[in-house]
Amino acid sequence: MTASFLQIQSLRKTYDQVVAIDEVSLDIRKGEFMTFLGPSGSGKSTTLYIVAGFQSPTGGRVLLDGKPLLAVAPNRRNIGMVFQRYTLFPHLTVGENVAFPLRVRRAPDAQVKAKVDQMLKLVQLVDCRDRMPAQLSGGQQQRVAIARALAYDPPVLLMDEPLSALDKKLREELQLELRRIHQQTGVTILYVTHDQEEALRLSDRIAVFNKGRLEQVGTGEELYANPASRFVASFIGNSNFLPIKVAGVQGSAQAIFPNGKPVSCDSVSRGLNVGDSGMLMLRPEQITIRAQPAGRDGGGLPVTVRDVTYLGDTMHYAVATPWEQEVAVRTSIGAREASLQIGARAWLDWDSVSGKVFPA
Amino acid sequence: MLLDFDRLGPLRWFLLGVGVLVSLFLLLPVVFIVALSFGDSQWLIFPPPGWTLQWYRVLLTDPGWLDSLLTSVELAVIVMVLAVVMGLFASLALVRGKFRGREVVKGFFLTPMVLPVVVLAVALYAFFLRIGLNGTLVGFVIGHLIIALPFAIIAISNSLESFDTSLEDAALICGASPLQVKLRVTLPAIRLGIFAAAIFSFLASWDEVVVSIFMASPTLQTLPVRIWSTLRQDLTPVIAAASSLLVGLTVVLMLLGLAFKRGKS
Repeated sequence: MTASFLQIQSLRKTYDQVVAIDEVSLDIRKGEFMTFLGPSGSGKSTTLYIVAGFQSPTGGRVLLDGKPLLAVAPNRRNIGMVFQRYTLFPHLTVGENVAFPLRVRRAPDAQVKAKVDQMLKLVQLVDCRDRMPAQLSGGQQQRVAIARALAYDPPVLLMDEPLSALDKKLREELQLELRRIHQQTGVTILYVTHDQEEALRLSDRIAVFNKGRLEQVGTGEELYANPASRFVASFIGNSNFLPIKVAGVQGSAQAIFPNGKPVSCDSVSRGLNVGDSGMLMLRPEQITIRAQPAGRDGGGLPVTVRDVTYLGDTMHYAVATPWEQEVAVRTSIGAREASLQIGARAWLDWDSVSGKVFPA
Repeated sequence: MLLDFDRLGPLRWFLLGVGVLVSLFLLLPVVFIVALSFGDSQWLIFPPPGWTLQWYRVLLTDPGWLDSLLTSVELAVIVMVLAVVMGLFASLALVRGKFRGREVVKGFFLTPMVLPVVVLAVALYAFFLRIGLNGTLVGFVIGHLIIALPFAIIAISNSLESFDTSLEDAALICGASPLQVKLRVTLPAIRLGIFAAAIFSFLASWDEVVVSIFMASPTLQTLPVRIWSTLRQDLTPVIAAASSLLVGLTVVLMLLGLAFKRGKS
């Protein structure tokens, strides 16, 4: 593991009485694509804007390559940034926009020209050099913005929801392009988004923000398989949350569903004691649905099928538990049973290691 | 659209007629005065019996007329420059500033537009009498600046308000110093507003007559004042020529502004 390149330490920001970010600490490795994921108002953008220098924190430190960053003025941080809104300078051509950061650094003309060439090639817009920004599509404008932000070889590139103004198809195209640019340049990227799919597609690691706090940091796989909190579990991927009461925490923990049915759970959040109520999280694809009772715990959880949807490669079931909660189940098409029709009785079963219990 | 011109039937001929009449009503005095300025009659007879350029020759050679023409131009240019500079700083404060009473200050800056000009003129006259500014160029500049500044502030504020400040953030993070950001990004982006402010404040001074009459001395007059005072003595066609010149420069500036706007959008 490489040493951390950008260190965010105990960052805190309050406006009047409102806490925007609270004790956020995060180490980012050199060359890493790190995404800040969270709903709006979760503090992800505030953290990014503090790194950029547009906002100052109430407390905490940011170190870049071991050197404190917060005392440096934003125009001297040498950081690249791409914004949510289109921010190309409207009076300059595409080429001059990319040249702008080099011109304010008084780079010699030959060097500017070579760098602009290289950058426009990187974002595949060489033909647009002499066009004005208003003549470009939204996707092209953001690609030029990326070229401009990378023209001065910044150690870190900040991106604040750069694709959110684009339509879905274009967004996916640019996501691929971004991955290519990241691989080609090796620049460290901090990327803010509220779109979990985008985060999973782009990132090496994802930092999940909620209400100003950092909930969990990890690869997409880690976050999906081992969510540290109920929030992470619900924000990344689809989940069912079944209410339970903890009955025992020794060894393989025991819990009881509202209908009195016992269930064993291998993973129980720390701090949960016997008698506490909790939520058992199950991913739709972790649940097996059968037309007959079978397996452990007396044949699984009896349910009623509410809806069946054929989705090509998978079947999607919506079933109702005895306490009238709707649960989503997804199975492969090969595992489906013909008798599972709307209104039919069915039994749910799952591997006890797959369920996670969080505090209610 | 319900009121689409093509779907109005016979009504549209009526509307067309009204439009033409209103245009004539607005344009005829101008056409009349311009025609007179080229007529060779001493007595402003319409239609002119013959055509000549001699009134323009008088206008541009007679020291009195020439002086007032040059005074008008000089004054309008000074007022234009000052109004744009002050308007720019005032607008930056009004649009970007976060201070209490901002709306009140803005309203105060715009009062010269609603204040009766003659009230302003009398007040300035009385005040300048005490400090000896009547009949001086400085007095003229101050008087006209008061009238021109609201136009400049409105034009520049409008373009500043529609300017996205994240462009400034982008320039800053690109490495531009705060001053470079203003000079290389903000000013070029709002140049249409600045240009409009320049034209409007030039024109505000160029055709101002009320304050000028109060400020004028026998040796320092603007063109409109000269027209006004000459008119009271005799009806020479030089007045028509001077008026045409006023109208002409105004039209040219307006067209210039329009062409500039077209070319950029």
